[in-house]
Formats: sequence, structure tokens, C-alpha cells
Amino acid sequence: MATASDKLRRARPLLGTFVEIEVAGADKFVMNTVIDAAFEAVASVHGLMSFHEPDSDVSRLNREASIRPVSVHAWTYQVLEAAVEMHRRSSGMFDIAVAPKLQAMGLLPRLGEDTPIDTEARPFDAIEMLEGQRVRFRQAGVRIDLGGIAKGFAVDRALAVLRGSGAAGGLVNAGGDLAAFGEEPQTVHIRHPRDPRRSICSVEVSDEALASTARRFDLFQSAETAISAIIHPASFKSPQLIDGTAVRASSCMIADALTKIVMIAGTDAIGLLEQYDASALLISTNGDIQITPDWHHAVYLAA
Amino acid sequence: MTQWVRYTLPAVAIMSVASPGYAMQYLSIEEAQKQAFPSATHFTEMQAGRVWKAEAGGHVAGFFIFDRVVGKHLYIDYAVALTPTGAVHSVEILQYRESYGGEVRSPSWLAQFVGKTSASALKINGDIRNIAGATLSSTHVTEGVKRVLAAYGNRLR
Repeated sequence: MATASDKLRRARPLLGTFVEIEVAGADKFVMNTVIDAAFEAVASVHGLMSFHEPDSDVSRLNREASIRPVSVHAWTYQVLEAAVEMHRRSSGMFDIAVAPKLQAMGLLPRLGEDTPIDTEARPFDAIEMLEGQRVRFRQAGVRIDLGGIAKGFAVDRALAVLRGSGAAGGLVNAGGDLAAFGEEPQTVHIRHPRDPRRSICSVEVSDEALASTARRFDLFQSAETAISAIIHPASFKSPQLIDGTAVRASSCMIADALTKIVMIAGTDAIGLLEQYDASALLISTNGDIQITPDWHHAVYLAA
Repeated sequence: MTQWVRYTLPAVAIMSVASPGYAMQYLSIEEAQKQAFPSATHFTEMQAGRVWKAEAGGHVAGFFIFDRVVGKHLYIDYAVALTPTGAVHSVEILQYRESYGGEVRSPSWLAQFVGKTSASALKINGDIRNIAGATLSSTHVTEGVKRVLAAYGNRLR
């Protein structure tokens, strides 16, 4: 449990969860400095993409982008591009513009001067990506929330800091959305959504990302939490058939977003997983566990 | 198109992994102090085991406060570093434990962690270092930081 002398692991409360960062193979002072910088990257993503912070890019977009084009940070633009692409490829199943529905359900707060919640239908391509890192909404009442993708992006940015430091290896784990690099693979235990004491399997992660999402699983509220923050954009219902999923992909942003699609589409998500060169494990409410064939090579029995 | 494959959870794995808890040790108090105030040359204990003043070359660099939050299943040691003017400089998790046996709120269960450092860290499921499939809420720590600020933010200046 105690870290070896050539490794350092720290944790901070960020993104509404605990973000763990480990770096290996450098001088201790250097590792501390690198971890500080990686935490800074996570905090920057939070500052840019929080739905709750009034000065974030997301809040500025929600206030102004239906009136005029809004310039955003390169990182925000990158996440929005990925989200719009994911929306298109998933035929609307991945949708960052479900925020008004989540507000109506009480899953997101209404903001100070926010207009009445608009849950009317909106055009499929409500978000217009313009040149010069500018973004415009094609209709009034569009509100975006990057909660389904930004955490994965934050993990990618933090890992990029670790990689850039020249360290031999590293890991970033933001409450189950994680990515690692280095020669020594990281063993990750995937928990059962219904019983956190049980590990479904362990997976070796190296030079890739793994994101996980579960319904009705919260360590503080466990069994009582019946509502999920993942809703189907067409029916606005929480998914009923999937308890949880873990997705492996080359980037944590893509893995994070794909977990939302698997939660909604279940086994039908396989085509999209293939498009993104991702593999997945999903746990149905009836206890069945299914994996994509390419997942298996790195699965080890939990024992 | 490829198909999904049924994955059978081995019964032996379930049995062997079922455990009352999971724990992670990050930094000792001393390590966290150095991390929060790298330039500090001296830490003066103002309140035993809880509040330290960090000094660098005769100037106050800030304050270091150790605190602990207990949730339903979680037991977290963390530290808040305050600037000389009483603003939050950083929040660092030192130790993290979870338990599902209901013992988190029992004083005797908590007592076993008092005075633990990274060198003497208690081992619970020590081979498990990375966990996925769970998004842990940091709400309790956030509330704890607010309490720390309310208690010390003004008083320490």
C-alpha cells in the first residue's frame, strides 16, 4: 500500500470526486512538482467546463451563445468538437444539450439569471462550431452540460502533463475515470455496481484509458439512490437495463463519453464502440456481465 | 459486426475479493506540509496534531490544518493549507478508507488510525491500488473544508 520510493501518489478533491495522480521514476521533488502541475490542469478543466461556475466557458456559452458567437478556450473547443461528433455518430444518443431536462429533473441547478427552463425540441445540430474557436447555438434555450465528457478530458490533460515531464510512468484516476502510461501496467479493479465490496475483474491498463459509469451506486447514498444523471435524450428516462459499464479507449474523454452511450443503448452500442476502437464491459440489471471480444485479452480473474 | 461475449463472474473471485474495506495512504502529515509549503523552514504546532504555522525566513508562509471527515462508508484524513490571509491554498487527501461493515462510526474502529503515518500504515486490501466502477463523492471533504475555514480562516491571521 505504501508507495515505493520511486513512485509518488497523491489525491485531491476535484471535479466533485477524488482525483488520484501517481508518477513514477523521477526524483521526489520533481514528482511533487509534476503532480502539482497535473492537478492544476484538472482544476483548469474544471474552471472552464463547470456548469456551476458562473465564469466558466460553459456558463458563458449558456448565457450568450444563442445570441452571438462566443470565443472559448482551445480545450473547451476541443471537448465541444468531440461531443458534437459523438452526438452525430450516436444519432443523438450522446447529447450535451440535455441540460434543460436535467435542470427540470432537479439534477442540475437553475442558474441565477437563467431563463425559464426550455425543454422544447431543438434542432439536431443545435451547436455550431465556428472558426477561431468560436461557438454559437442555433436556437434560444439551448443549454449545455459537459458533465458526461469533461472529466475524461481532465484525466487526459493531467496525464499529458505527466507524460511531458519525462517520468517513466504515471496514472490519473478521477473517481473511476482513469488513464495510465508507462512500461509497468496498472492493475485496475472494477467494482460491482450493486455491491462495491465485490470486484468483477481486474484489468491491466497501460498507455490507454478506462472510464466507468454506474447507475444507483454512490458510496454515500448507495441503495437509496434510484435516480441516474444519465437520461435518454429522446425519452428523458433513466436507463433501466444496465447497472454499469466500463469502457477502454485510447483517450479518457472518448471512454468517458462512450460509457454514457453504453448505459443508454446497452449492447446496441457495439457498433459505435468499434468506430472508436473501444472495448467495453457491461453489467445488466439481471446480473449478466457481457464483454466485447477484444476486452477479454486483458481481463484477469479477480482473485 | 462483432458480438458481445457473456462473462461469467467466478464464484471464487467474489468470495476472495469480498472484504470489509479498502484503504489508500497518500502522504503523511509531514510530507503534506512540505508539499503545501515547499519554501517553509519551520512548522510550529499551534494546536496539537491539528494546526501548524508554516514559516519561511521569519515570515508566515501560511497555515496547515489537519482534519478528518467520516461519512457513511468513508473515513478520510485530509489537510487544508491556508495562505497567511486565511484563504484556501490547497486541499490534499492524506488517507482514505472505506468500510462496509458499519464500523466507520465506531470510536474503536477510528482509534486504530490515530497516529498512523505512511510508515505504519494499516493494510486493508493492500494489493488493490486502483478502483474503477465507483465515482466517490467528495462532498464530505468539501463540507469539511468549509468548516475548517469557518473555524480558522479568520482566527489564524
